[in-house]
Amino acid sequence: MDINVRKRSQVQVIQLRGPLRMGPAVDGLRQTLEEALRNRETRIVMNLSEVPMVDSSGIGLLVQFLALIKKQGGNIKLANPSKFAVQTLRLVGVLKLFEIFDDDDAAVESFA
Amino acid sequence: MPAESSGGPENTALTELLDRSVPADPVAIAAVVDAISETLARLEVPEQKRFEVALAVQEALANAVVHGCGNDPSKQVRCQLKSDPQGRILISVADPGPGFSPDLVPDPKGRENVYADHGRGVYLIRQLMDEVHFERGGSEIQMWKY
Repeated sequence: MDINVRKRSQVQVIQLRGPLRMGPAVDGLRQTLEEALRNRETRIVMNLSEVPMVDSSGIGLLVQFLALIKKQGGNIKLANPSKFAVQTLRLVGVLKLFEIFDDDDAAVESFA
Repeated sequence: MPAESSGGPENTALTELLDRSVPADPVAIAAVVDAISETLARLEVPEQKRFEVALAVQEALANAVVHGCGNDPSKQVRCQLKSDPQGRILISVADPGPGFSPDLVPDPKGRENVYADHGRGVYLIRQLMDEVHFERGGSEIQMWKY
């Protein structure tokens, strides 16, 4: 999985490409989110448009860090999640935990 | 909710499409999941069905690696993909572990579990597949997609 991080208007935008599943993908995203927390970057947009699969370990990671970041007054917002990512998050009852936007711009602006 | 009693569609006349034994390692099982997706794509299985099967296989193999093999890559997990003349798909995943009781898996949609970082794999499998059977005390799962 490719993980691309950039900063826009004090918001960290994380673009993922590839399946988010147990192994290097989940481990890599965990490191990225841990680093964000260490740097007190708690306004995060995660673009899931090119993520064709999110497995249960990926879901666990997303909700775990959503809770941690919300405790610090921040949020993880999803930008343009793929239809299969949406289906999976809905299936396990966690889709409602996330704010979802059509694209990065809308998600970033929502933090203003 | 799929049935979980033993049985399932008639097991005769199944065509074996794939049979892989791989180390209990996340990268190795990902390759099996991708190989199954590619096999189903060659058979012109619709994208939605391919996605549901692939995610269920990913979860079954991940359970086998973590719970059946204790994340020990010296152990092996086996995955078989078969189809019947009606186009129904059977996937079996087996590990050398002691098994588990699927009835003890908590409801991941329960309020107390919604932020949990684990515990959704078996639930997802049950939602994605049409029939799920646990064999050999839970160390083998057989999953049907119609």
